[in-house]
Amino acid sequence: MIKIKKLEPLPPKKKADLPNEKQGLSYKEWQHQHRKRHFWRNLRWSVLLFINIFFVVSFVFDIGLLEGSLSGSRLMGFYLMDPFNSFQQLVIGGETGYWVFLTMNFWIGFSTILIFYWLLGGRTFCSWICPYHFLAEWGEKLHDYLVKKKKIKERTLNRYLKYVFFAGFLLLAFLTQQLVFEDLNPVGILSRTFIYGPSLLVLWVLLLLAVEIFFVKRIWCRYICPIGATYSLLGNLSPVAVGFNLDNCGHCRDCQAVCEVPHVLWFVQRGKATKKVHFTTSDCTHCGLCVDICPGDALKLTLKGVNKLME
Amino acid sequence: MAKANLGRRDFLKSAGIATLSLAAIGAGVGYLKKLHASDSKNLLRPPGARDEKDFIYACIKCGLCVQICPVGAVKLADIDHNLSYGTPFIDAREQACDFSCGALQCTETCPTSALNFYKFKDVGEAAIIEYVKEHPNAYQDPEFNPIQYQADKMHREVRMGIAKLNPSSCLAVQGKGFHGTPREQGFRGVYLSVNQGDKEACPVNDHHFDREICDLCVTECPIGDTAIVMKKTEENGAMHFRPEVLEGCTGCGVCEMVCPTSQASIVIVPKNQITEKGGEL
Repeated sequence: MIKIKKLEPLPPKKKADLPNEKQGLSYKEWQHQHRKRHFWRNLRWSVLLFINIFFVVSFVFDIGLLEGSLSGSRLMGFYLMDPFNSFQQLVIGGETGYWVFLTMNFWIGFSTILIFYWLLGGRTFCSWICPYHFLAEWGEKLHDYLVKKKKIKERTLNRYLKYVFFAGFLLLAFLTQQLVFEDLNPVGILSRTFIYGPSLLVLWVLLLLAVEIFFVKRIWCRYICPIGATYSLLGNLSPVAVGFNLDNCGHCRDCQAVCEVPHVLWFVQRGKATKKVHFTTSDCTHCGLCVDICPGDALKLTLKGVNKLME
Repeated sequence: MAKANLGRRDFLKSAGIATLSLAAIGAGVGYLKKLHASDSKNLLRPPGARDEKDFIYACIKCGLCVQICPVGAVKLADIDHNLSYGTPFIDAREQACDFSCGALQCTETCPTSALNFYKFKDVGEAAIIEYVKEHPNAYQDPEFNPIQYQADKMHREVRMGIAKLNPSSCLAVQGKGFHGTPREQGFRGVYLSVNQGDKEACPVNDHHFDREICDLCVTECPIGDTAIVMKKTEENGAMHFRPEVLEGCTGCGVCEMVCPTSQASIVIVPKNQITEKGGEL
C-alpha cells in the first residue's frame, strides 16, 4: 500500500511577522482595508447575468448566437452539453443500447464542456454561470444574517455527501431509465424558466432556497448537486486555482467566512499551512470572494505552474 | 483517532439519509412512470420522435427544437404532463407543423437524436440518387432544386400521428360550404399554404376561402392527395362528401388548425396512442 507522506505544518508565525506589522497598521485597521473591494464579484455577476440573459435575448429576438438552455445549447452552431445530463444519458444508453444513436454533435458538445471546465477548474461553472448559484448567494447572505441574529443555528454536513448523490442519481437513472436528476435540477429549471417561460417547478427551486436559508447553509451547492460533483471531479488536475502565499497572510480567516466551500482554504488557519504556497482543491468555485476580501492580498486567482516559471 | 471516527460516523449518518432520500425519489419516479405510460400518449411529439419509452430519457430538455422552429409549433410540456416536463410537443390546433422550415430543422438540431434525423437523412439521400438516375441531366436543369426535392421527400416520411375525422360536426359531411376566414378573430397560427401559392408561412386568417363544399383540410394539406382526399359518393341523386385520410398522412396537424368548425372536426391522434393499440405507423 502506498502511504502518502503527510507534511508537517510550518511553525506558526510570530507577531512581528504578521503583515499588518510590516505595514505599520493595527490588526483591525489592516483587516478592514479591503472590505469594500468587489472586483471579482462584480465581474463574475456580470458574466453570469450576461450569459443567462443572452440565452433569453438570443431566443426572443431570434439572433441565434446562443440557443438552447443550460441543459444543452448551441453557441454559434457549436454544441455544448451539460455533463451530468450526458452522464445519465450514457448510463441509460449503455443499458438500452441507445448510445449508438447519439449524434456527433452530442459527443462534440460533451467533450468540449469536459475539456473547457477541466482547463478552467471544474466548479468555475457553478459561480460564473449557474443561475441557481446566484440566487443561493443571496440566500446565503440572508442565512448569515439570521445566524448572526441568533434566529437559527448553523449546521454543516459532510462534504463528501455530494459524491453519494452523484453515484445515487446515476444509479437512479439506470434503474428507472429516466433522467431523474434533470426533473429536480434547479439549474435546468431556472434556465428553462427564463427562456421558455415559468413552470410550477419553480416552487421546488423556492423550496430549496428556503431550506438553504433556514436550515443548512448552501445545502444544494455544497452537499447535493451532482453537476457540481462532476465539475469537482473534473477540476482535480486543473491548472487554474486560488493560490495562497503564506507570507502575506495575517490569519484573519475572513476568506473562509465568505467562502462557499471553506474547507478548500484550510491552510489559512494559523499553524496549519505546510508550505509557503498552497492552492485550493477542486471544490473551489473560483468565485473570487476570498481574493477580494483578503487584506494582505495573500490569495490570488492563479495559473498553477506559471508562477514558478516566472520566478 | 476519536475525531476521525466521529467524522466517519457523521458521514455514514448523512450518507444514510442521502440514500434514503434517493430511494424515496426513485420510488416516486417509478410510480410517476407508471402513471406516465398512459398520460404521455396524448402528446403529439415533433417529427421523428422516438417511441415514448426511449424518447423520455433521450430528450435532455434543452429546447433547441423549440428555438429553431420558424413557426413556433414546438412547445415544452409543463409538469401537468407528469414526467414529460420540459419535453417538446405540438399543439396542432394552436399551431401546426407546416414543414415550412424546409428540412425538418427540429429533428436535425436534436443533439441526442430523441428526434431521429438519421431516418430522414437516408430517405432524402436515396431520393436524390434515384432522381438523378432517372434524369441524368438533372443538375443541368435550372428548374431542379435538389435541396427542395430532398426536403419534400423527407417530409413525406414523417409519422407524428394520423388525422381522424369527426363526421358529426364536419361541414363537408353535412353538405355545407364555407365562406370567410377559417379561425376566430385574433387567432395567431401560421402556415405555408401550397394551394394558395404562399412563399412563406402566413397567418391562417390571411387566407380567404369561398367553397361550395368545405374542403379546407383537403386543399390545405401540405402533403397533398397521398394524405387526404375528398371522397364523393352519389346516393339517391344526391352527392355526399367525406374527407378521407390516407396512408400518407404525416400527422402534421395543418388540417386540424385550419378546420373552421368551432371544435376541430378533424384532429390528430398522436403516434403513441396508435402504436399502443398494435397499429403500425
